[in-house]
Parts: sequence; C-alpha cells; structure tokens
Amino acid sequence: MTDYNLFPGCVIPNRLPYLEDSARKTFEKLGIKTHDAPFNCCPDPVGFQSVHHKSWMALSARNLTIAEQDGRSIVSICNGCTQTLKMVNEELKHDDDAKEEMNAILKKIGREFKGSVEVKHFVQVLIEDVGVEKIAEQVTNPFTGMKVACHTGCHYSRPSSVMQWDDPMAPKFLRQLVEATGATAVDYDEEVLCCGAGVGNVEEEPAMHILKQKMDSAIAAGADCFVVVCPACFQQLDNNQRTLKKYFEKDYNIPILYLTELLALAFGHKYEELSLKLHRARPQALLEKYNAV
Amino acid sequence: MAVIDFEFRNSIIQHKEHLGKTLAYCYQCATCSGVCPVAQVTKGRYNPRKLILNSLLGLKDNLLLGAENNFNIWGCQVCDTCDEMCPQNVELTEVFVLLKNMSVKEGQAPDYYTTQAKFIQEHGKAIPLAPAIERRRDQMNLPKAPKVDKKEVQTLLKETGLEDIIGPVEKKEEAK
Repeated sequence: MTDYNLFPGCVIPNRLPYLEDSARKTFEKLGIKTHDAPFNCCPDPVGFQSVHHKSWMALSARNLTIAEQDGRSIVSICNGCTQTLKMVNEELKHDDDAKEEMNAILKKIGREFKGSVEVKHFVQVLIEDVGVEKIAEQVTNPFTGMKVACHTGCHYSRPSSVMQWDDPMAPKFLRQLVEATGATAVDYDEEVLCCGAGVGNVEEEPAMHILKQKMDSAIAAGADCFVVVCPACFQQLDNNQRTLKKYFEKDYNIPILYLTELLALAFGHKYEELSLKLHRARPQALLEKYNAV
Repeated sequence: MAVIDFEFRNSIIQHKEHLGKTLAYCYQCATCSGVCPVAQVTKGRYNPRKLILNSLLGLKDNLLLGAENNFNIWGCQVCDTCDEMCPQNVELTEVFVLLKNMSVKEGQAPDYYTTQAKFIQEHGKAIPLAPAIERRRDQMNLPKAPKVDKKEVQTLLKETGLEDIIGPVEKKEEAK
C-alpha cells in the first residue's frame, strides 16, 4: 500500500467537512495512509481554467511540485481537483515545450516540475490499492436491498484520452464499490448525465432542467438514494431539491450519500457520528431501515 | 450582421498546432449538440456545433460578445461529453476554453468566473475557511487545514499575467 498526499480541495474542507470526515474514516479503516500538505486551490477546471488557462496550469503545477517534494502521489476526494491536477500533470510530463515554459514561471518561486508523482481519484485508489473483495470483507452493516443510483459526474473520467480511468460513458467501478456494501446499483437512463452545476454558475434554469432529468430518471428506476464522488455534484443534488420544487412544483426528497459516507456506514459508523443530519435531503428515514442510525 | 475577423480566426486555428488541425476535421454532424446536456434544455440558445462553425469562420461577434438571450460560449460547463462523442476527435472543450479566455479579456465573462478568480488570487483557495466551518471541523476532530502560502501564489499569478486580466489583488484597509 502506498502513502498518499491527500488533496481535499476547497469545497469539501471549507464547506462540507463531514464529507472529509467520512473519507478519513474510510481510508483509515482500509489502511490507506494519507498526509496533509499546504496545497493551493487545484484550481477549478470549470471556473478558473476558463478565465486564464496559463494561470490555471501554473497553480496546478505548484501543487504537483509540493507532492513531488514529499515524494508522494496525490489522492483526491473531488472530481474537479482530480481532473485539473491530472490534466496538467500529464501535459507537463508529455509536452517538453509546455514543461519548459511552466518551469520558467515556477522558477520565480523557487520550484521545478519534475513529473515524478501520479494523481488518482479516490475511487481508483479504492479499486486498485484495496480491491472490491477486501472492502466487502470489512462490511459489518450491509445495505442489502437498498437501491442506489450511481452518479460519477463528468470530471471523474472525462476526457478519457487524459484521465485513462474507467469507461467515460458507462462507468463501472463506482457500481462495484456500492455493491460491495450489499446494496444494488440500479440501471437508470441518465446515469452519465452531468449534474448541471456548471451551467448553474451562469443561469439557474437550465441547471434545474438537467437536474430534474437526472432525478426523475433515477426515481423512475426505483432508486432509494444517490451515491456520488464529487462535492460539486453533491451540492447540486443535495442543495437544489428545494429549488426544483420552485420550478416544477414537485417534491423531491431523495438522500444523496458520498461514497465514503456509504462505506463508513457499512463499516459500522452511525448517522450521528458522521454528522449526516447536516445533509439537506435528510437520509435518516432511509438509514433507519438499515440499522445505520 | 456578424463579420469575418481574419485575425481572430487565425488566433484560434494557430493557437496550438493540434487545435487548428482538429477544428478543420469538423463536418458539422451535430453529434456535439445532440449529446450536450445544456443544448438539450436551452432551446437553441446554446449550440456547440454552431460555436465550432463560427470559430472556423472567424465570426468573432457570434462567439465572444454577450448577445441578448444567448449564452455564446458561456453555456459550456466543461463536462467533456462532446469531446468524448465527437466522431472526428475535435477537441471542442479546449477550443471553448480558449474562446472563454478571450471573452474574459474583452470583459464579457459572467460575474461568477471573475469573482472566483479574484478569490483564488487573494486567498490561494476558491473558498476560504470560514470561522463557523473551522469550529465545526474542531467538533469533528478534523485536523487544521495546512496554511497556503498566499504570497507565493500571488507571485506566481503575477508572473503568469493574471493581474493584467483581472487586476491586482485589491488592497483592503488595515483593520483598526
């Protein structure tokens, strides 16, 4: 098992700390050793990259040099951070001109990109370093019978030319991890549809239409909850069920769990302990059925 | 009526060698518009196929300027679905990132984008730690987040030229 530098990002530690808590508990249980480091913003592949591509690359490269100094690869618990760090890491590793240009900039702060570490999404670490069978062995509180709509989100595996992980249009590893807890991953039409958070930064209405499409499809397939692996998706799905009511006069109340929350619950942690009451769509009633409260 | 701007056209197709090459392979099949989640729900207000066509033609006004009731490039949420499905491997998202960068320079970016960039420039993070969250982290026994070296981040962003685009870090009045 490798030691990693944990890249928690901005959204999770500074807005949704309960997700970080569940990730740390899950990693500890599974023997994934992580270290904290003074990383800056990844930065956001949707926002900051669109403002100034070169600055986006430079800030990302700075993070990579911090991990290189520590001699540890990065495990990220956010899709956006994973995509930014991996895209820049791969470009600088494979394009000598880009690397030269970036190192001339990094020199001003006494840093140099070498290309000696990897960047991994935590789903990849769970699958490759631990494995589905070993995770299933640790389950003491199974979720047999619970129907889960898996939502990997966009930046988890796209663009596949760079991300090189899972199937970008038919992802399977999140489903395997969910099923390791005894739950059933349901098939639903809109599984690879984006959550809509990105366009929500510019205009709310289209973001709500996309979210509704996603939610209706999962609910029609009989899902009891969603399981997600990205904090932007988590916020869009959890915070905006009330907004959906405003647009469509329809009640939505479907719990959204982070994968690490589901795993921590399956390993015996409880509702209160994981601060699950902080979710907007309360998962209490659902989790009571599975002795997780 | 939109007018062809050759200089603008060249700045896109010559930006990077591979970008111009991939653009030229677009045969306007509209797979991108068909799979784009935003195009599906905006009734023609956002259309990636047209954005690629306008890029090839150099119709600057159709791309960068915030025409009434039109997202232009700002409807793109970088979900990378179009790149994944394009039969000609046109790197649409990369083209749109370039166009967005140009749009920012012309002062046409939606507020969200420049506000976030200013936060990152000032704090080194898109979301700085709030005291209420800090207390919550303590209650959860989460470790203190390591401090970001803001000075180093700002030096780096000066070097990349971000200041020329969004301005320098705003000086706050000294706390009394």
